[in-house]
Amino acid sequence: MNRTSTPEARQLARTAAAWLALLDSGRASAEDLQRLDHWRAADPRHEQLWQRAEGLRQRFQAVPPALAMASLDRPQTNRRTLLKRGLALTVLVPGGWLLSQQLPLAVWRADLRTAVGERRGVRLVDGSLLQLNTATAVDLDMAEHQLTLVAGEIALSVNRAQPIDVDFGLGRVSTGQAQICLRRDADNCRISVLSGKVRVQPVQGVELALDYGDQLTLYADGSGAMGRFDPHMPDWRDGVLSVNNQPLGLFLGEVARYRPGILRWEPGLESLKVTGTFQLNDTDRILALLAASLPLTVQSRSRYWVTLVPRQASV
Amino acid sequence: MSEAVILSEQTLHGLYRDHRSWLESWLQRRLGNRWDAADLSQDTFLRVLASPQVLEELREPRAYLLTVGKRLLVNFYKRRSLEQAYLEALANLPEALAPSPEQRWLLLETLQALDELLDGLAPQVRRAFLWAQLEGLGYAQIAERLQVSERTVKRYMAQAYEHCLLAEL
Repeated sequence: MNRTSTPEARQLARTAAAWLALLDSGRASAEDLQRLDHWRAADPRHEQLWQRAEGLRQRFQAVPPALAMASLDRPQTNRRTLLKRGLALTVLVPGGWLLSQQLPLAVWRADLRTAVGERRGVRLVDGSLLQLNTATAVDLDMAEHQLTLVAGEIALSVNRAQPIDVDFGLGRVSTGQAQICLRRDADNCRISVLSGKVRVQPVQGVELALDYGDQLTLYADGSGAMGRFDPHMPDWRDGVLSVNNQPLGLFLGEVARYRPGILRWEPGLESLKVTGTFQLNDTDRILALLAASLPLTVQSRSRYWVTLVPRQASV
Repeated sequence: MSEAVILSEQTLHGLYRDHRSWLESWLQRRLGNRWDAADLSQDTFLRVLASPQVLEELREPRAYLLTVGKRLLVNFYKRRSLEQAYLEALANLPEALAPSPEQRWLLLETLQALDELLDGLAPQVRRAFLWAQLEGLGYAQIAERLQVSERTVKRYMAQAYEHCLLAEL
């Protein structure tokens, strides 16, 4: 509420608002409309306010309803909570959907795509097997034995001596008879070698040779880190997520990749530990299992808007 | 007049020198990052500068800075949460319905202005108003969804209109 408004301005606004509410009800009589005309004509300030009200309605009509509704009707956090705990929720915007100008377009135009939660396998013309994990986009150029991972995660199993090159934005991996997993996130890319040997040429830096068991993470700033991959990581190819004593925050970050819509949680929950093997094609069930085994509650505003809160804080 | 202004600037300068890093670290603890905290602390001092008459009466400078800082912090969070909801809605939109990249930013700004306009309305009132304005729902439908009488819906609508008209003054 505007603190500087005078009592007179408030009274005028109240009168105009009552008229608007009557009009919107669809029950204004001919007589009502006449009285409204009379009120508008009675004072230039009335007419001015009425014009402003018309402008207000037009502003709402000028926005796409679905987007505006989803944005403006989001759950509201009150001032006290905001000050005490901040937004208190981690919201995951699916990778590749930031307002980047090229990325979504590149994803839409890609030769092969999977939706959020979808997985699919493709046999390439040379007999190699390409598997796409959730929310993934790949461009194919088999004449040149070359793929581009535009977004998401793939597993590639090459059976022939003829190598396939995969461009992943931050570099290029060349793989002969080998199996690799390749995951591209917003600011890094991870190459894991499940069998065989591969060569990686980062955009910045010298070529690297990777062996069975190696995992190379390259970051957008040009840095990189070499390590071993988690033996359960490739389980996604079978639609399974296995974790052992993993912090809930990391776990939910993974689950959210497979789930359309918003998945949020209070940061206080992030340090809880999760152990188990979960089926990725039913994330509702994963959340139900979490609620059954951890001190948390799942609040669903809709299938696409789910929030995890500590059990005692739920209402 | 000039004397009062000079006094204000001196006071402001002292205020800035004595309390800026304190305010910034207070904000940083809440925001979790240095950059947003520096921006918000800068904005806070700008707001204080814009109302020098208050400054003269300033007995508890930190309490006053905190009041202004908190207001800006809450606005910041609200903008951030709107942005997140908007991005998420964009992501779930079929390609054919998605606005072009240039339009996305403009639309976000428009939505932020509308969000500020609606700020402070009770949740039920806000939702009823949005349903009417954006989805063109009639009072009967809104009443059914909210489980209230049509009369109440009409009162909600009047409240929302009044709120928005005053906010725009």
